[in-house]
Amino acid sequence: MSHKYYEFFCPVKVIAGKAALEHIPYELTGLAAKRPMIVTDKGVRAAGLLDPVIAACEESGLEIVSIYDDVPPDSSTSVVRDIAGIYRQEKCDAIIAVGGGSAIDTGKAVNILVSEGGDDIARYSGAGILKHPLKPFFVVPTTAGTGSEVTAVAVITDEKKGVKLPFTSSFLLPNAAIIDPRMTLTLPPHITAATAMDAMTHATEAFTCMAKNPLSDAYATAAIKKISQSLLNVMDNPKDTEGRLELAQASTMAGIAFSNSMVGLVHSLGHATGAICHLPHGLCMSLYLPYVLEYNLESIREPLGELLLYLEGPEVYSATPASRRAEATISAIRKLRDQLYKRCQLPRTLKETGKVLENQLDHIAEMALDDGSIMFNPKEVTLEDARAVLRRAWA
Amino acid sequence: MLLKRIQPMVFQARRLYVDIMFQVMGRALQAVSEVDETVQNEARALPQGLLFEMMVMPEGPRLIVEHIGDGYFHYHGDSAPRPVDLSIQFKHIAHAFLVLSFQEKTSEAFANDRMLVDGDVSYAVRMTRVLNRLETFILPKLIAERAVKEYPASLHLPEKLISAARIYLKVATNFVETARP
Repeated sequence: MSHKYYEFFCPVKVIAGKAALEHIPYELTGLAAKRPMIVTDKGVRAAGLLDPVIAACEESGLEIVSIYDDVPPDSSTSVVRDIAGIYRQEKCDAIIAVGGGSAIDTGKAVNILVSEGGDDIARYSGAGILKHPLKPFFVVPTTAGTGSEVTAVAVITDEKKGVKLPFTSSFLLPNAAIIDPRMTLTLPPHITAATAMDAMTHATEAFTCMAKNPLSDAYATAAIKKISQSLLNVMDNPKDTEGRLELAQASTMAGIAFSNSMVGLVHSLGHATGAICHLPHGLCMSLYLPYVLEYNLESIREPLGELLLYLEGPEVYSATPASRRAEATISAIRKLRDQLYKRCQLPRTLKETGKVLENQLDHIAEMALDDGSIMFNPKEVTLEDARAVLRRAWA
Repeated sequence: MLLKRIQPMVFQARRLYVDIMFQVMGRALQAVSEVDETVQNEARALPQGLLFEMMVMPEGPRLIVEHIGDGYFHYHGDSAPRPVDLSIQFKHIAHAFLVLSFQEKTSEAFANDRMLVDGDVSYAVRMTRVLNRLETFILPKLIAERAVKEYPASLHLPEKLISAARIYLKVATNFVETARP
């Protein structure tokens, strides 16, 4: 009897493509919601990204009752409480989060409070606390990388205690994710590159770490193929709507993959580096990916070799001997990073970031060892191993 | 028909096995924290007084261990003096049996969604490393290799045997001392 077992869950309706935003009114009506609130940040509003969302709703006679546009990059319990207060005051009945990871996580947390009641979001922190479905919740991502629109987690900072509160429940998943290429069309080059590499890392780790499963694999490989085929085109031609949509879809697919099969050491190191050196998450992912793959190589040789097909296409795959495909996959990722460095100086080493000191590496290694994602890394990582990977990633 | 008759006995035996293994593991966690420096270093990062529980949902066997400070654990049996801070919960007795009979590694059980973590995940990661370290000491290498993600290359036979003997002696002593009259 096979001991292989897996779980896979993604009930999010994905609404993707041209004029996707215009489906929002119909979808909200289908959930009996008539008074939606938008949760977003100042950057999104300033970039004019709310305009098509509002226009799409108003054209269908659906009024956006309230807009909260002051979500900070690291959302907090007080922000969540304030937004929930406005939601109740305005008698809203649905939430539309428009933005990146922080706006989406804030939307998830606000939905807990307005659905479950109370003002203290910390009460609901942890896994499996929520027992009932929440209010209608839609997500419109404005970056193509985090995959937050299809993950069942949110992280909110408790500023009084100075800790990050995790929330995990399948009820946090939105009813719908609206993937419209208009929302990522104006992303600057370095953010386009870093977020796409974030999605690439989600997919690569989902495919090579311990909880990989056939359904996640299908999403992961499709995501890698889309990113490798579209990223450089979009970097060269930022207004390439088709390419933007491909990257946005890849991000969602990679999100579905990793939320069902988890991630590994790249994320452990990335989370620690982000916390200590305040580097953007996507940049850390891009930076560490090849070094961690090299470290894990002998444990993941077979699945890693398979990824060559999706990164470089069938000609290169078939011309590469099976025994060399894993190394060729790492080379392909390195090549992609070199191309991104050429186009937008996305750092490839810790030294190139200019924001990490060599004497911080030990601290990063120690913190990475306590990160939850290290549990799913295919190799058992010791402190010395983590230090060695960091030294290789230094310069 | 025969299978139907013996099934309740099989279930009972499985529950008994898990219960006994939890009792051994709880005592062994206390013992390994008294003999192994690596475990002490791992445990030192945990808050003093942290209560760690490993249990089978919903009300199955459980073990409770407290970090009493400076890297030392104290085994509390199956009842906690106050609400636990960190709980690793098997979803079903069958899943606990898979792990405790070394058919599935602890890390695989996490990856396969057999267990839930309630509490600070970073502490759960640390406790998993402690459990792995314990298993590498007290199990024969062939079995330990099935229980942990990677058997440490640095652990040589003399150290393993001496540590295992000390742990087993402490476990046995603890069993005798805490045996009910």
